[in-house]
Amino acid sequence: MWMGRVVGRLWAARQAASLAGRKLLLVRPETASGAEGHRLIVAVDGLDAGPGDRVIVARGSRVRDLTVGADVADKDVVIGIVDGHEMAPS
Amino acid sequence: MILGRVVGQVWATRRDARLARAKLLVVRPTGIYEPAFGEPAFGEPGSGARHLVATDDLDAGIGDQVVVCLGAPARVSAGGNDVPVDAAVMAVVDRAEIDANALGAAGAGPGIRRKLTEALG
Repeated sequence: MWMGRVVGRLWAARQAASLAGRKLLLVRPETASGAEGHRLIVAVDGLDAGPGDRVIVARGSRVRDLTVGADVADKDVVIGIVDGHEMAPS
Repeated sequence: MILGRVVGQVWATRRDARLARAKLLVVRPTGIYEPAFGEPAFGEPGSGARHLVATDDLDAGIGDQVVVCLGAPARVSAGGNDVPVDAAVMAVVDRAEIDANALGAAGAGPGIRRKLTEALG
């Protein structure tokens, strides 16, 4: 899993049927120590997260099957919304 | 499995129900287990992200060096094959050692050696 901040939502009128119209979030890896890397990941929302939320994202087809369902074509799923976290001073 | 250091802890009330009892730690991988080729999965060492979130039932704490398992075996450790996680703490390291000679034989340069030593230090 990894932690990130939801920086946006994504809508697509034309999309694969296998995305099943699921809510798609743009998530950027980030901890209290700051943002990491340059990638944005498109994750399926397994809970009800929104822009600004800090979330935990898990990866893999099995994770996907267990949460949003085997018929969704994305392997990155939001499985937790962070209340707070503590980081050692770096 | 990869080696890392616990740098934080996360709390999340709204989480997948099967994660209810899991303690979640933020782990910084040493970065020495980067795959030789191919693009690493997001969150894995070498992907640009510098942390992982892993479940922990060995009661590791901030500052501990840990072994983290990624992928399917992590689920079993986290409580069963129906827990939607992809990383779990498998061991809390008491001591890790790198043989500088063996490393030299493998063709690693001084930069890598320094990085490894720092990572374990």
